[in-house]
Amino acid sequence: MVFTRFVEVGRVCMINYGKDKGKLATIVDIVDGNKCLIDGCNTGVARQIITFRRIALTDLTCEIGRGARAACIKAAWKKGGVAEAWAKSSWAKKLAAKAVRGNLSDFDRFKVMVARKQKSKIVAAKVKSM
Amino acid sequence: MTRSFVATGGPKKAAKTVAAKGKSARMYPADDVAVPMKSRKGTRAPTKVRASITPGTVVILLSGRFRGKRAVCLKILDSGLLLVSGPYKVNGIPLKRVNQAYVIATSTKVDVSGVKVPATVNDAYFAQATSNSVKSEDKFFDNERKAAIVSDQRKADQKAVDDGLMKVVTKEPMLKQYLNAKFSLTKNDRPHNMKF
Amino acid sequence: MTKAQTTQPTRLYVKGVHLGYKRGLRNQYNHTSLIKISGVDSKENVDFYLGKKIAYITKAQKAGKDGSKFRVVWGKVCRAHGGNGVVRAKFARALPPQSIGAPVRVMLYPSRV
Repeated sequence: MVFTRFVEVGRVCMINYGKDKGKLATIVDIVDGNKCLIDGCNTGVARQIITFRRIALTDLTCEIGRGARAACIKAAWKKGGVAEAWAKSSWAKKLAAKAVRGNLSDFDRFKVMVARKQKSKIVAAKVKSM
Repeated sequence: MTRSFVATGGPKKAAKTVAAKGKSARMYPADDVAVPMKSRKGTRAPTKVRASITPGTVVILLSGRFRGKRAVCLKILDSGLLLVSGPYKVNGIPLKRVNQAYVIATSTKVDVSGVKVPATVNDAYFAQATSNSVKSEDKFFDNERKAAIVSDQRKADQKAVDDGLMKVVTKEPMLKQYLNAKFSLTKNDRPHNMKF
Repeated sequence: MTKAQTTQPTRLYVKGVHLGYKRGLRNQYNHTSLIKISGVDSKENVDFYLGKKIAYITKAQKAGKDGSKFRVVWGKVCRAHGGNGVVRAKFARALPPQSIGAPVRVMLYPSRV
């Protein structure tokens, strides 16, 4: 397996700092070894220069030219099915699950706890019988 | 104060007539009338109970003998204290009053519209009966600890409330077990991030 | 009960650590202690804990007036200290210096939720 998740024009990344934390954006241009220009026209992130420390690269890319404009990126996302591919990824699923877990009420947490106990009981019984 | 006896009588009477007629009297008292200062006692604004607590809210008790247990808030009493019940049948919490500061309100609500709380259950109902009959010395030497006597009235009231409450509690799946379980913080629980 | 309970059955407090006292470069103000509450790492998170009671608990050799060997100094969370989730707390009696680094209990009451 060769490493393919590079910083490149068209790379979809997730912002992990500040008010846009958790939102997706696309790398449009590379400024230098520390910074790049991103555009999040699909997710409400302003076009901005950001340091690499504040973004996390995803496996996804879209077909755009260097310095592409918002309309272009939108079209490329649609063509490449980026949003759908992201929703399918285990990364996105984990994030969604985490958000759901964080929003549980006290009663819901209790139900989860009971369900978990039931599950482990079944698993333990199966393991024992093996 | 020097008293002046004018035709209308004493200064108090004069003041009274002024107040009664609602228009300026022909005579008014020569001296200023001493009006007793209005007592500020008893005019305290009623305690505000925070919006998250309403009748039917499941609350987590934070302090005292029942700490960690969950109970149902039935009513907000005039004193601003919450009237809660376990129900007693489920987790042993009787009808009791708790201060809202020692309670976490959860977002779980139980429909208590069908629960009839006896009208006699108010703040006075919970006031401790002072027993002067037993002298403290006798108490001191009375080594046998007597179980607290629960009056039949209390038992009846508890039953009346529990009957209504149990009907709603058993309707919702898992709710009974939930009320029976204790709340506790575990290793990575961050109450400031938790939703209740 | 068959077995004596050794620990509290439910933990209804958040763990905290007494870091030291409010201080300047040269002066120290023992009347206010700095407390690090576990899991609180930003000023925004402190909001939940404002006003919460804190207990510093020690075990002594002799039982006190109430018949318990545990001594408690109660205090409460006053405000944030800086932006990293440390809080300032006032205690009924200033905490002793040997309590620096010691655990304290940040209770969940008075509750505002």
